[in-house]
Amino acid sequence: MGRLRMLIDSLSHPRVTEKYPYEPIPIPEDFRGKPEIDPEKCIGCAACARVCPPNAITFRDDHEQGYRVLQVFLGRCIFCGRCQDSCPVGAIKLTKEFELVSLSKDDLYQVVKLELAKCVRCGKYTVPYRYIKYLMEKGPKILKYELLLCPECKSEVTTLIKYHYAQEVHE
Amino acid sequence: MVDVLKKSIWVFHLNSGSCNGCDIEVLDVFTPRPDFERFGVKLVPSPRHADAIALTGPITRAMVPKVVEAIKALPEPKIVLAIGACACGGGIWHDTYVVVGGIDEFYKILKEEYGMDPPTTIYIPGCPAKPEALIYAAGILADIIKQKQRRREDVIREEDEEKRKIETIIREEIGSRHFLPKIIVKRGPREGSV
Amino acid sequence: MQDIKRVIEENNGKIVVEHDYFLLVEVSREHVRKLARALFEAGAYYSTGVGSDERPKNGFFAMYHILNHEESKKYIVLKVETPEHDLRIPSITPEIEGANWAEREAHDVLGIVFEGHPEPERLILPDDWPEGVYPLRKDFKYNEKVKPVRKEEKFVEREDALVLPLGPFHPTLHEPEYFEIYVDGETIVGARYKGFFVHRGLEKLAEGRLTIHQIPFVAERICGICGYTHMICYCQAVENAIGLEVPERAEYIRTLLLEIERIHSHILWFGVVYHLLGFDTGFMHAWRIREKVMDSAEILTGNRKTYGMSLVGGVRRDIDEDKKEKTLKALREVSQEMKNLFDDVLAMKEILNRIEDVGILPKDRARSIGVVGPVARGSGINTDVRKDHPYAAYKYLDFKVPVYNGCDVLSRYLVRADEIFESIYLIEQVLDQMPGGDIMVERFEVPEFSVGVGATEAPRGEDVHFVITHRGSKVYRWRPRAPTYNNLPSVPVMLEGEHLADAPAIIGSIDPCFSCTDHVTIVDDSTGKILFRGSLEDAIRRLKR
Repeated sequence: MGRLRMLIDSLSHPRVTEKYPYEPIPIPEDFRGKPEIDPEKCIGCAACARVCPPNAITFRDDHEQGYRVLQVFLGRCIFCGRCQDSCPVGAIKLTKEFELVSLSKDDLYQVVKLELAKCVRCGKYTVPYRYIKYLMEKGPKILKYELLLCPECKSEVTTLIKYHYAQEVHE
Repeated sequence: MVDVLKKSIWVFHLNSGSCNGCDIEVLDVFTPRPDFERFGVKLVPSPRHADAIALTGPITRAMVPKVVEAIKALPEPKIVLAIGACACGGGIWHDTYVVVGGIDEFYKILKEEYGMDPPTTIYIPGCPAKPEALIYAAGILADIIKQKQRRREDVIREEDEEKRKIETIIREEIGSRHFLPKIIVKRGPREGSV
Repeated sequence: MQDIKRVIEENNGKIVVEHDYFLLVEVSREHVRKLARALFEAGAYYSTGVGSDERPKNGFFAMYHILNHEESKKYIVLKVETPEHDLRIPSITPEIEGANWAEREAHDVLGIVFEGHPEPERLILPDDWPEGVYPLRKDFKYNEKVKPVRKEEKFVEREDALVLPLGPFHPTLHEPEYFEIYVDGETIVGARYKGFFVHRGLEKLAEGRLTIHQIPFVAERICGICGYTHMICYCQAVENAIGLEVPERAEYIRTLLLEIERIHSHILWFGVVYHLLGFDTGFMHAWRIREKVMDSAEILTGNRKTYGMSLVGGVRRDIDEDKKEKTLKALREVSQEMKNLFDDVLAMKEILNRIEDVGILPKDRARSIGVVGPVARGSGINTDVRKDHPYAAYKYLDFKVPVYNGCDVLSRYLVRADEIFESIYLIEQVLDQMPGGDIMVERFEVPEFSVGVGATEAPRGEDVHFVITHRGSKVYRWRPRAPTYNNLPSVPVMLEGEHLADAPAIIGSIDPCFSCTDHVTIVDDSTGKILFRGSLEDAIRRLKR
């Protein structure tokens, strides 16, 4: 009896098999697919690399060529979307793309290289120009002077300032 | 791709320490809606009957000998489908103490300790990979679809004018700090006293 | 409530933290055994135990025993400290049997010696792990690679029975685990389980590399079927530790997704059981219906399985009217179709015969083993974390907990069937009553060394997470415990005396999830570890007599 009913049930269903890959499938609006950096918008702050749970986004500073290299490895990405939440300028977005199959590991990378600025005091590479530009507009006014200093010079100058103030008080 | 795969691909499913997400999707793709069997793809219970291994999971250390055995048993040409973030790149646990960390790290062990060449690998990212992504992979293997994903590399250089503008503004800012010149004045006697 | 406090105080326990959800009780080494006994007699049962290396804080090692007291709706956390030079704590296993594994695990990973433990053998560390290396001590790095030692695997021969190996890769198992089933003719006389192939070093990873906001994503990947409940459980543990109130709307959204997950997990289970019974038509129908649930999850969260929706303090994405409507429409269809499927299947004599009066787990055995979730409810035990320790929005909602007294596979089948419809009813209420407002608390302080316990009702049963917070948005110690850990020991009881052909359906009936269970242990080496060697076979022999 149950079998008969099941047969009737099965026959009463329309075709459920989708036509993919010959026809596209509907993808919902908020689908979390391939993360993509818009190189024109990216400021190279590396906030995304810091929040990324599986370290799929990494960054390193190439001090010889003078670039900050941001790298997205889709093979390790878990599509959580934390990078999108943390980006201050909306440069990294999760797209609706899920067809990421690739025959070589190399194809799974997206690399963005941003030119680094030089320290005005010692001439070493510091942070990308884009980042400085962003901080000049949005960052705290009081710290503008240290934007073009490398970390060592920055701490040196800060101690000098403190020393200077201490001397003044002493006198 | 490989000529052998123009026809039906038989797949052996190998879980190497995955969370089950991808394994369920591997099963799911054989159910009525995605219906993988349209392409002649079939799950087989032994690697000796298979054309390809569907590998999920980051390959835990306990699994290494078992995965090696399975790859040894696979007939030539050996093909591995690395499914999901864990198999492709180690996923969220790529660097822990009991995880090898993805198929490429595993191939290093395969080469060094077992002296075997790495098999052809198809990377299927996703966490978990959508059933449609698996169908897409089969489409690529069977030459129905062309691969869409390509390496992208952008180099952003600033205009020289722009750089100068930024530098001028900041130099002005440094100049406007009243205490900076004083520091230089202070420095003289300090150095002399040493 | 007063009673349990009196019990604690009479037995020299000191209540340090009194939270709505749990009590943190400090007790000295001399009195722990007596207190544990008294609590057990007062109706608390053992949930899990956590060892912790607290030398950076005060030079002590600590052992936390977590007991569940359903009557007062509280977890009781007993904390016992011991100095570094004298790593001895009296074992409470002679008083409460359930503490056995937890204490052995704490010995393996931290080197704490439990005096008077009946089987002080290694549990989770492999036999070839070097003596004196304790991976969860703070001086062991999370990404330290210990040189693997290869060992030949031994195949245990038995004279009285035929040994039938099953796994680690087998067509009926989709996860690597290994069963050795001992058969005498057609009848099963014993079983042995060997697992921990899926151990991924997750607890140490959480302490090492990740921050408080990254751990939810690891927690979600403990299991690919019931991951979201682990995520919520972790978030609740941290929220309890830092005393954070989650906005009401976030609680409703969490409940909605937890129930969606329960529906998809249960339908998946039905498919798998039909498949194990050789009824592949049912499998295909169940999974066809399941696609609708997966689609609504994709619409609501952006992914079919890993929802990624929660962080400590709330949820990440809001739900609008359009999504609500689509979900409701899909679930109504699911409800109708599942009803038809269940009616059709239960009208088939051949299916019913395979599951009725098969895999018996009597009620008293179920209680003493401490099984949870649908396995317990199928044996007539009325237990459900959603009722016993209300969390998320369950306190505002109306629902029933299905309990069946058949103690067989059919009862567990019916419990899950009822739960699907109960979950759909819950989702309708959630979507109807969902209040407006914020979905996330953005700013909060994380205190140092604050203890928290979180529990959720996973599709497979009670899921408990224990957290100690650390400065700099880190976690000092995190210990998840999945329901399969409690349910697995019941399998030999069910298998005893059954036909071999029924074994897959019986093992399947507890809805085992090995990736959930294996992560709980700490270290695995090249061989994995035999879990049940002594205890399981003994249990079966005892039963036979």
